[in-house]
Amino acid sequence: MSILEVKDVQKVFDNRKVLDGVNLTVEKGETMVIMGGSGCGKSTLLKIMIGQLKPGSGEVFIDGEEIVHLNDSEMDRVRLKFGMLYQGGALLNSLTLAQNVALPLTEHTHLDKKIIDIMVKMKLAQVGLAGFEKKMPSELSGGMKKRAALARAIALDPSIVFYDEPGAGLDPIVAAVIDRLIMDLSKKLGMTSVVVTHEMKSAFRIADKMAVLFKGRVIACGAPDEIKNSANPYVQQFIGGSLEAASVSAKDSTEEYIKSLVEGN
Amino acid sequence: MREFAGKIGRSAINFTKHTGSVWKIFREVLYWIFIAPFKGQPCKMKYVADQMNLIGIGSVPIVALVNFFFGITLAMLTSYQLKQVGSQELMAGLVGVSFTRELGPFLAAIVVASRVGAAITAEIGTMTVSEEIDALETMALKPIRFLVAPRLIALLIMLPCLTVVANVVGMAGGYVIGRFNLHIDSSFYIKLTFDYMVFKDIWTGLLKSVAFAVMIALIGCYQGLTVRGGAAGVGISTTQSVVQSIIFIIIIDCLFNAWFYFI
Repeated sequence: MSILEVKDVQKVFDNRKVLDGVNLTVEKGETMVIMGGSGCGKSTLLKIMIGQLKPGSGEVFIDGEEIVHLNDSEMDRVRLKFGMLYQGGALLNSLTLAQNVALPLTEHTHLDKKIIDIMVKMKLAQVGLAGFEKKMPSELSGGMKKRAALARAIALDPSIVFYDEPGAGLDPIVAAVIDRLIMDLSKKLGMTSVVVTHEMKSAFRIADKMAVLFKGRVIACGAPDEIKNSANPYVQQFIGGSLEAASVSAKDSTEEYIKSLVEGN
Repeated sequence: MREFAGKIGRSAINFTKHTGSVWKIFREVLYWIFIAPFKGQPCKMKYVADQMNLIGIGSVPIVALVNFFFGITLAMLTSYQLKQVGSQELMAGLVGVSFTRELGPFLAAIVVASRVGAAITAEIGTMTVSEEIDALETMALKPIRFLVAPRLIALLIMLPCLTVVANVVGMAGGYVIGRFNLHIDSSFYIKLTFDYMVFKDIWTGLLKSVAFAVMIALIGCYQGLTVRGGAAGVGISTTQSVVQSIIFIIIIDCLFNAWFYFI
């Protein structure tokens, strides 16, 4: 059964079509990686999937419920079903790590404070941050911030966790640690993961399924091996990190480059 | 000319748009302060207490300093004028009424708008650019409840308190001139101050401070929540917050004075 479904989603910003009929299906428990170059619409798609942005047209289903037409309070009910790991962590800087992780628990459950304290310790231990409860976010490294933010994202044991560039700005070892956590959540706890990234190594490590976005469209979708063997030249260019393809502006002729500057395309 | 008219038109549209957004925040914050607590969703008193400490206690020294010296200045200027008609002792009442009606609430609000309004915008603005506000929304937590309501409640409580401090300290500044320059006896000076003061002078001043508190909180929070463009955007919004707060304080003050004393 699909837990997340995106149907023909379109989004236009200032007469520029950022998403042009995106279709995507994510099954329960799988890790879907959405890839694409800068400006291809990945972040916009992510914002639409978590209800932060309304699409121009199309539908988004989370756990069978269409979310595009929900009002704010109805959307809040759906938001409890998923967690989100932001690129910079987005921990509340005025709160300690324990308070950050406890926030969704104190606000959305009627659990006793002692139980919440135990749950916070468990969640922080799950991401390898046991003993860091009283630290402030400003005292942590980038990787630790992301792990703490992940502990907060899974505090309510959501069915889906969305990740926005989880490895961005981290060294390869710390990025691998984050990847391991994502895989653990998926394999051991059965959480569905939707990861937006453009880091190939990480993407192929964690993905059960991959989708490649290009100019607001999904140009390839399938298992990592299918993506690796895709006949689409842009997909090959993207995963190979090569300049040798017609779609890259670095290969534009001088005339085309001047035309794009003059016409603002 | 057409360009100028276009500019005016665009400014008017922008002003209407911003006013509409601020009004929306105001309605929402009223819900979280007055209705939500009865539905089992009160504002966190810890956040309110933190803000009261930051906004109120932290502003006492600077409010006192500004009003004390303003009290001295006002006393010197008025006694200089009153000397020409031989009624320098009237200065006590004039300073008292000026502070309770106008200068106390006004100067306290200006100090708080500069100090606290800027801090509110900078803090919320930084949270906006670092996606903390988005994170709150994704956790189904309302930024208005967590960030705006505690600040508004704290300002509604603390700005009238700071106004009382401003009134007392401003009158003390006048007393310094009355006692040491005009050699008026202390008890006589105090009697003169209260002889010319009526209760309306005090409550109208306090009512003004409540309106100023609402304005400072709403502008500060709105500017913070609508920051765009990273650190530079935070700087721009912080400046706008202080400038707009001061302008609106002056306009509201003028309207209140017209209402209380002339209409």
